[in-house]
Amino acid sequence: MFLSLARIIKFGFQDVWRNFWLSLATIMILVLTLFSVDLLLALRIIGQAAVDNLKNRVDVSIYLKQGVPEDKILNLKARLANLNNVQEVNYISQSAALESFQRRHQSDPEILQALQELDQNPLAPTLTVKPKDPDHYEELIEELDQIEDPIIESRNFQDNKKLLDKINYITDKINDVAIIISSIFLLIMILVMFNSVRLAIYSHRQEIVIMKLVGASNAFIKAPFLFSSLIYTLVGVVLTAVIFYAFLTVLQPYLDTFFFGYNIDLITYFNSHWLQIIGLQFAGAAMVNLLASYIAVGKYSKI
Amino acid sequence: MIRFINASKFYPPQTKALDNLSLHIYPGEFVSIVGQSGSGKTTIVKCLIGEEKLDEGRVIVGDWDITHISNREIPYLRRQIGVIFQDFKLLPKKTLAENVAFALQVCGKSPKKIKAIVPSVMKIVGLTEQMNRYPNEVSGGEQQRAAIARALVYQPKILVADEPTGNLDSINAEEIVNLLLKINDLGTTVILVTHNREIVNNLNRRVISISDGRLVNDQARGKYII
Repeated sequence: MFLSLARIIKFGFQDVWRNFWLSLATIMILVLTLFSVDLLLALRIIGQAAVDNLKNRVDVSIYLKQGVPEDKILNLKARLANLNNVQEVNYISQSAALESFQRRHQSDPEILQALQELDQNPLAPTLTVKPKDPDHYEELIEELDQIEDPIIESRNFQDNKKLLDKINYITDKINDVAIIISSIFLLIMILVMFNSVRLAIYSHRQEIVIMKLVGASNAFIKAPFLFSSLIYTLVGVVLTAVIFYAFLTVLQPYLDTFFFGYNIDLITYFNSHWLQIIGLQFAGAAMVNLLASYIAVGKYSKI
Repeated sequence: MIRFINASKFYPPQTKALDNLSLHIYPGEFVSIVGQSGSGKTTIVKCLIGEEKLDEGRVIVGDWDITHISNREIPYLRRQIGVIFQDFKLLPKKTLAENVAFALQVCGKSPKKIKAIVPSVMKIVGLTEQMNRYPNEVSGGEQQRAAIARALVYQPKILVADEPTGNLDSINAEEIVNLLLKINDLGTTVILVTHNREIVNNLNRRVISISDGRLVNDQARGKYII
């Protein structure tokens, strides 16, 4: 039993080594496929982080009438803070709103000029309401709609709803595209592995004939080809991990610059999840490759 | 030892390779099966080693009815029947000894047993000197002897030789036949499938003549008569 296992392993390595260029091509395709999967994972992480960040920035502004006493505003703020779907409420006074407006438009002299020509501060005091969960935005809007107070001038619910819808739409599309691209690569991987095993069997047809002739069991004849596909998978997964990590170290500084303030750290993510990523990739790829090899061996080893 | 009972085998569209063939080969016999190309000789060999299955009738080896043998059982059958072919079927990148050892390796024999068995069968076939040579470094006769050595590693009770001299000159062919006779003397049933008239006539052993898949002649000390 152990002797046969040892020989299956030996013949499996021989298959890989003797068909060196075929093995190399197979492993390269495997690496490309797994690299693409890693890339999609990274894209998803970046996308998710960006979306979460944007969702955190989603808030609802309630504009108040000018000249309302501060205690009435603080009363309303307290009422809003007690709502179920509210995480926090910020009060932006009329003067703070003006300062913020001037800061935002400091490079636009025409707007600043127009502001100066007005006699008084045209901006209304505002309460900004941050939802507990941006996905339950609709419920928050319903709650806010029920709040009636004479100091409320207007509410701008619609813009943020559009933004949120757009974010959800983009997230869904990213997921859809990721699934489609992964499926295409999965199909390529299956076909490549199937073909590699078929070619390996073709190059070993003499041995297979002789093995059958002298009474080797069918399992013994097939097993080395299945084992070779496991070798391809293992080498492919490890090589992909090494290449992808090197790629991330190059990519991370650019991400830091591009997504400044978003705190997207792929290297830390991969450092803390490397075992899961490599393990799952190996398990998934091995399963797919073994299945492809099994079908190829069953179909082509009947020499 | 071997019985074909009303055996028929058809190949599409309308070829009858075996047509209601019945024959009985006894233990320790040396039997020549002769006939022209396409007469059904090789089909007999294929049915005997489980490569083909009969459409009608039965085939029995020893006490084992192998008519409907399963794929799982075929390896066990083939360890009991040694087979050699016209084209030797040796691996070119292995030495003669490695070729013989390969047959033992793939069936799970230990290195210790392989080391003991290989030299002994190489000695039987007279290849002790050449055992470390590659197939392309030896003559056709020596390659066929290596193939015989490989067929003998499991000490089979039956040795089937399908046109073993087809690729050999007359001197090498005679040597191979003498070797088969020697193996037969050691107790192995030998079935020689051939259309070489001279060899069959010189043997003076049992001859079964096949034509169009039918047994047309079976003589205890026969000649090639087709």
